Amino acid sequence: MTQALEIRNLTAHYGTTKVLDDLSLSVGAGELVSLLGASGCGKTTTLRLVAGFLTPTNGTITLGGRDLTKLPAHKRDIGLVFQNYALFPHLSVMDNVAFGLKQRGLPAADRAARAGKMLERVGLSALADRLPGALSGGQKQRVALARALVIEPPLLMFDEPLSNLDAKLRIDMRVEIRQLQRANGTTSVYVTHDQEEAFSISDRVAIMHQGRIMQLDTPETLYQKPANAFVARFVGFENLIPMEVVRRNGDSVTARAPGGVELDFSAKRFPAIPEKFVLGTRPDGLTVTADPGAKGIPATLGLRTYLGRAYQYQCETEAGTLVANGSLAAPLAAGEKARLEPVPEQCCVLAVE
Amino acid sequence: MTARLSPWLIAFTTLIYIFLAGPLVIVIGAALSDTTYLTFPPQGLTLHWFVRIFEIGAFRTTIVTSLQIAFLSTALALAIGIPAAYALNRYRIQLPAWLSTLFVLPILVPEIVLGFSLLRSVAAGMNAPIYASLLIGHTLIVLPYCVRVISASLSSFDFSVEEAAISLGSPPAKTFFTIVLPNVRSGVIAAFILAFITSINDVSTSIFLTGPGISTLPIQILAHVEQFFDPVIASVSVLLMFLTVAVMAIVERTLGLTFLAK
Amino acid sequence: MLKRHAGWILAAPATLLVVLFLVLPVAATIASTFGDPKGVFAPYIAFFNSGFRRTVLWRTLEISLATTAISLVLGFFAAYAVSRAPSRMKSVLIIAAVFPLLTGVVVRSFAWLIILGKNGILNNFLVGIGITDQPFNMLYTQGSVIVAMVYLFTPLMILTLVGVLENIPDDVIQAASSLGARPSAVFRQVIFPLAVPGLIVGAVLVFTGSFTSYATPQLVGGERQMMMGTLMYQRAMVAFDWVGASTVAAIMVVITIAVVLVMTRIARRLNPMAT
Repeated sequence: MTQALEIRNLTAHYGTTKVLDDLSLSVGAGELVSLLGASGCGKTTTLRLVAGFLTPTNGTITLGGRDLTKLPAHKRDIGLVFQNYALFPHLSVMDNVAFGLKQRGLPAADRAARAGKMLERVGLSALADRLPGALSGGQKQRVALARALVIEPPLLMFDEPLSNLDAKLRIDMRVEIRQLQRANGTTSVYVTHDQEEAFSISDRVAIMHQGRIMQLDTPETLYQKPANAFVARFVGFENLIPMEVVRRNGDSVTARAPGGVELDFSAKRFPAIPEKFVLGTRPDGLTVTADPGAKGIPATLGLRTYLGRAYQYQCETEAGTLVANGSLAAPLAAGEKARLEPVPEQCCVLAVE
Repeated sequence: MTARLSPWLIAFTTLIYIFLAGPLVIVIGAALSDTTYLTFPPQGLTLHWFVRIFEIGAFRTTIVTSLQIAFLSTALALAIGIPAAYALNRYRIQLPAWLSTLFVLPILVPEIVLGFSLLRSVAAGMNAPIYASLLIGHTLIVLPYCVRVISASLSSFDFSVEEAAISLGSPPAKTFFTIVLPNVRSGVIAAFILAFITSINDVSTSIFLTGPGISTLPIQILAHVEQFFDPVIASVSVLLMFLTVAVMAIVERTLGLTFLAK
Repeated sequence: MLKRHAGWILAAPATLLVVLFLVLPVAATIASTFGDPKGVFAPYIAFFNSGFRRTVLWRTLEISLATTAISLVLGFFAAYAVSRAPSRMKSVLIIAAVFPLLTGVVVRSFAWLIILGKNGILNNFLVGIGITDQPFNMLYTQGSVIVAMVYLFTPLMILTLVGVLENIPDDVIQAASSLGARPSAVFRQVIFPLAVPGLIVGAVLVFTGSFTSYATPQLVGGERQMMMGTLMYQRAMVAFDWVGASTVAAIMVVITIAVVLVMTRIARRLNPMAT
């Protein structure tokens, strides 16, 4: 019942513009993989290609070994949950959920029984006779979910399913979606532009940009060890500082930042540091200190903003403008000289691109 | 989304479009025919029948009257319809809901009944000149197009833009002309075209408001067909078609470009 | 003070025009039918007592219903094809439907005189290929009026229905096919039911348009196929029976407004997208 999705060398065009560039992606049986990226990155295109609403210029799509590439959409047997719910406005909640079963030729009694059970699972039994127009956003999304699940598809796909809901409901619904998906063990592809949502719900996340997957990994790895500058910036490593190794001494690697300051790195934490590399840090990963003896990048402080847990400074350095945080206990004024100390736990090492 | 359509549907649709285009092609062909009777396909081509239109006095005067009435009624309907559409959108809470229904009444009430009622009450009852009654009738039948089309453009206009202009020191009346109107330009152009075409082609309202002294081109064509069945009718029909297309093109060019230049 | 009345001040000229020159004159026309000394409803009794006028009313209803039904079918299939056509083709097809609408009723009705006349194209063609040896008169028949009316109103129907079909969201249709509905099932179970309210609106437009038409029955139907519009003109301008003409006018107004009100109410009730 649960099957693996295999996308190989998928290329797609809108007219003459290439929107998907030789994309390959495997989603294991029972796994939930998110496609994450800004609008126009190709995530929705990928989903529509798999669903059969677009035709690729090149590449193959297989589900559990079955080649879908040439199959029309209605024969693909994929459960889809749409951003705008896409409920049939003229059919009751019950008939919406039973629609797919009707297409499969199930007798009316079976349809009602299975759809009824599904509605119970999403907690909407009481609304079975309503029309979609009379439901709230959250209820509509539950109907859409039930409608996609009731056909017991080998693959479920979600297209930004929560983006029309308010913040609180969004969190409740994503837990609910994850629980239903886990319980059924259905292979799933989840498209979203919301990083928190993708990281919280997925087994693995594919970060996409300009029609390509920049990195596909578990949320933990993506968050701590981005593979390239794009992903690093995407997950919050705002400061990218070019570095050059000057010495290697057992476990310690010393590298020079622009301006000549030398910083030490533990080879245990950052194995295989190349001769030239880029140090990525989050604002939390650079501590602003007024102590002139501290081992850090010299900076002139600019605008200070209050974050609640810390102050954040715009800092002018030899490596350009960096964003760094300083303690609430000792606010510093604009124009003061300070040093920015890297916090190893909030840093990453990237290859020069 | 492009789905594959069944070849039967494509064939059927093609036939429908042939049915739609055929008669107009026939009229154009008949207008070019070198015969004294109406026929198709034309038996040798001539532009003689187009020259003939202007040799007939009744056609000369009715073409002028039709153009005058169409321009005047469209201008009048825009002049009162734009403020009305603006009021309906800007001051919705102030105005009763039935007001927008009132402005579509001229479409709801059969045109021919409107024409007859204007004849009874205005032309005969108030002894108004027939030209004025005709103009009133045409202004009424084109008003709904002006109000509705411009209302539709205004409904997607963000009135906070207007408030922004006023807060920056632009007087309200000036703001309307410099900020609101340019943003509903396409609506005004569409309203103008629709209104003009409706007026110049109208029969049902005009039929009661024309007489021996004053007539419009469509009414004159109707009268001419009753007596003569010659290609001049076809050529004047073609002229009317081209008049329509020309007005569309001119309005699109001039109004479109001057607004764009701002 | 001015601000509180700004809406009314701006709407006043248009409101006055409609009230003074449409509402009052039409009301006066209708009121004039109730002033007969022989009884309040005397003109109506006279209307329905006249076999000829009853026939005209009946014929008008018949022709209008037939026109509506035929243009619904033609318009719906054409509109479906147009709405699903590739975008370049779609704009060409929409322009091809708009153009006849821009051409006047007189021109478009007159075209049928050339086609259906005794020496018309169709007769010449039929004689030419030997189906008949005598040209026969196709004009001034109920059929000819219906053909010309269908020709007149089909573009309007196509444009109305293209709008309706385009309003059906793509993702609803995609949802249906993702759930396994074949194209024919998508059409029957999703597209058609969602188009019904629009079909009603289109039908109302065509019905009221043909019911109150004047130029087409005048040109293609003549005296023999008199309809309500031509009857009203004949009463008013030939017989100078203004009360009789007003009676016809009142019947036309009542029937059109009743049809519009009842059908739009039904359409609204059937429209699931409104809620």
